Amino acid sequence: MSATTAVAACVQLVGGVALAPLLPGLVQHLKGRLQGRRGPSPLQPYRELRRLWRKSVVDPEGTTALFKAAPSVVAASAGLALLLLPVGGVGPDWSLGHDALVLVGLFALARFALAVSAWDTGSGFGLMAVSRELTLAVFAEGLLLLVIALAVLPVESTDLRALTAAASGSAIWSHPFHWCGAVAFALVVLVETGRQPVDNPDTHLELTMIHEGPLLEYAGRDLALLQWAAAARHWIVLVLAADLFLPHGGSFAVQLVELALEVVALCGALALVETWQAKLRILWVPRLLGAGGALALIGFVSFFIGGRL
Amino acid sequence: MTALEAVAAVGAGALAAGSVCVAWRPLLPLALPTQALGIVLIAVSGVAVLGGAEPLGRGFTDRATPAFGVDGLSGFFLAALALVAVPSLLYARGYLAGSARSRAIAGLTGAFLAALVGVLCARDVLSFLAFWELMTLVPAAAILVGRQSRSVRRAVYVYLSVTHLGGAGVWISLLVLAHHGALAHPGALAQAGAQTQTVVALTALVGFGTKAGLMPMHSWLPRAHPVAPSHVSALMSGMMIKVALYGLIRVLFTWLGAPPLWLGILVVAIGVLSSLGGVVYAIVQHELKRLLAFHSIENVGIVALGLGASLLFAHAHEPRWASVAFAAALLHTLNHAVFKALLFLGAGAFERATHTLELDRLGGLLRRMPWTGWSFLVGAAAIAGVPPLNGFASEWLTLQALVHLTAAKLPTALTGALAAAGLASTAALALFCFAKVTGLVLLGRPRRDETAAAVESPVSMRAGMAVLAVACVVLGAVPALIVPTLAGLHPGAEPVARGTSVRLPGTGALPSLPLLVALTLLVSVLLVARRAGASGRSVVWACGQRLVPALAWTSAGFTKPLRLVLEPALRPQRFAAVRVRDGVVQEVEYHAHVPHLFDTAIYRPAVRLSLRGAAVARRLQSGNLRAYVVYLLLLVLLSLLLARTGALG
Repeated sequence: MSATTAVAACVQLVGGVALAPLLPGLVQHLKGRLQGRRGPSPLQPYRELRRLWRKSVVDPEGTTALFKAAPSVVAASAGLALLLLPVGGVGPDWSLGHDALVLVGLFALARFALAVSAWDTGSGFGLMAVSRELTLAVFAEGLLLLVIALAVLPVESTDLRALTAAASGSAIWSHPFHWCGAVAFALVVLVETGRQPVDNPDTHLELTMIHEGPLLEYAGRDLALLQWAAAARHWIVLVLAADLFLPHGGSFAVQLVELALEVVALCGALALVETWQAKLRILWVPRLLGAGGALALIGFVSFFIGGRL
Repeated sequence: MTALEAVAAVGAGALAAGSVCVAWRPLLPLALPTQALGIVLIAVSGVAVLGGAEPLGRGFTDRATPAFGVDGLSGFFLAALALVAVPSLLYARGYLAGSARSRAIAGLTGAFLAALVGVLCARDVLSFLAFWELMTLVPAAAILVGRQSRSVRRAVYVYLSVTHLGGAGVWISLLVLAHHGALAHPGALAQAGAQTQTVVALTALVGFGTKAGLMPMHSWLPRAHPVAPSHVSALMSGMMIKVALYGLIRVLFTWLGAPPLWLGILVVAIGVLSSLGGVVYAIVQHELKRLLAFHSIENVGIVALGLGASLLFAHAHEPRWASVAFAAALLHTLNHAVFKALLFLGAGAFERATHTLELDRLGGLLRRMPWTGWSFLVGAAAIAGVPPLNGFASEWLTLQALVHLTAAKLPTALTGALAAAGLASTAALALFCFAKVTGLVLLGRPRRDETAAAVESPVSMRAGMAVLAVACVVLGAVPALIVPTLAGLHPGAEPVARGTSVRLPGTGALPSLPLLVALTLLVSVLLVARRAGASGRSVVWACGQRLVPALAWTSAGFTKPLRLVLEPALRPQRFAAVRVRDGVVQEVEYHAHVPHLFDTAIYRPAVRLSLRGAAVARRLQSGNLRAYVVYLLLLVLLSLLLARTGALG
């Protein structure tokens, strides 16, 4: 293993496992500032994780092993996704491959585990939220695949390293398909991170919640794992956005710095959108995603009309 | 006769003996094991051919003399058949015990298996068509023997009429192929011209597609599959519709010659329609077996996506991806056969224990029937396309094929991108549906006393389901061991590397075994960490009240957001009546259901139109002798006129 891949492996693990909780903390902090409040410290998620890790887990009566296993499955699939995702264009070989579609599958596994746990408790809040999440996922996954098909166009590969390399440099920005893909992926980011206008991460009000719903019955270490997994999801989606659709290039060290700056900038963008957008009616979110799909298709056709790269 | 041929012949003999021996009551316990032995022997010879041995028996012939043989493709389908049939027969041993018609059903099961083997091994048109029709008729008999009611007879009537009308397509395409001598010499159809090729392709799509349950020719499937005895449902959904796909593969890939562009796009379009349409209608079902039947339509659609992609790659001269897409379709065929059979067997076990399949009346069965429940859960996760199980492996491969279609010209590329998005949405919908099924059937509290009193199934039924559940995990762990073999079955095959991960150029690899190991390790570490802390028990929070069964979520409630979003497409019908007396609401009546639009918009008008046409034609049959004399006279005059003008030659 060369020095570069060793550093990349460290960033992958340390970044994904340890720095991920910083991202939702940063978004909340920046949002507070933008709204004229002082806002919680960016380190608040770490404090919460520490508090939760010390508390006892609670098994609701009548639940099975599926309820107990769900947080571990969700966290494990997020952990595996971290290993698939290259940083700075370099992906160490964990013999798990670097395939974009496997990443999509791991997200699906987490969704399935959480949905099943909500049924296990039978709680109305969890099920309401899960049924909404699964409904949105139908459209988000279709859009995500269209965006992946767009990103694949210049390289003909779903290997995330190849995709990152293809999006580097400035030449690709002269092609409209890349712009269309970037905008469409922004919508996927909003859905997958559970941010406004799709979901409201600040509330437990049943009228609005999606992501918080199935978490209500969990406590202690279970809840800590689920909250860490949500933070890791922020990390994965934002790094993916930076890898595939934000400008990068240069040596590995330069790319790492670019990645860090871009992820922070994306957190700022999320905070900005949350401040300036109200939550959308849930039934209108599929229309928003449909608009993204139409944009992706326009980009797709433009690639063929404008001539291949 | 080689040794392998002898093995296959002994197997066929055992299968026949196992079917016939039910006629004599003392031999009844031997019937199912003998059938299982027969199917295993046949599959052994099939696997040997698949593994590289010389094809057995005869090759395809255009003559009308009976000929039988096994080549690689037949071998693969025979192996899949055995993988489904043996657990189903094991299950049937417990399932049929004590039932009134067990002898007849056991005999018909064997006959059904024999018909399936016959279609797969037939090497001439007449035996193929004979076994093809048997394959349609035998399960109809098994359904009618198993249950007698008006609605079941109606379902069988629709099944037979739709499959026979559509089945005409099979006859036409095969007879045209035989007429041009294309069965024995696959290049021969190309000389017959593009029009003949079009006719053969379209009739084959209609004929085999009807039997496979592809939309919009699927109308019979959700009616017939749910009413059959469960192990017959498993064979129908697991294998019968796959044997139809086998026929389609033979025609489109071996006998048709170079595929035109429109054919690939058409097959992909049918695949998208079937997969999305099937799963959307599955989600709004409230009866477990009917829901599973709609999922068969979905999965056949996914197989069609792989086949269509392979045709498009062949058209674009990309032999490597053409064989990968072909392997994806075959792998999904095998995977779907395994998990769908498992789910149907599980449904049968639940029905036996609770006397209902209404999703809203089950619940809490994972505790009461742990073996059945956990096996069913594995099947549900597999069909939901969740890694690291087998459903994910083949959906991943199919998605890869579709995404890589974007390397071609615009029409093909756009087809690939749209189909990939459609398949991703299908997978998300299937996950939605099976989260619902798992929750309503296995988890929560029982919704009725009868469900609460459910007891575990007998050992043989449990064993049948457990074998299939293990197969789901194993096939998910090592798809890379079989994908190269399957890719080798494509006529223009290019070799694919064998190993523990599916490594294809242009992908980031699907390391299924390492993924399985890593996932298991991580989950167990986290579970240990969780257990290390303190734990407590509590009631579920429901705003301060006890969570009673009346508060339990229903199937309709869970899918409500999706139905609202899809309202323009699904057109659900609602009826609400509120009875108010003295300003106080006394009673609220509410019904809602989602009509099957294919039935209301296509089939019902078609039936009405043909009945009206028949009414008009019936006027000719007045029964009046003088009218018939006039018909004859007119016919003679017409013939004379035609002869006079020279039209008759």
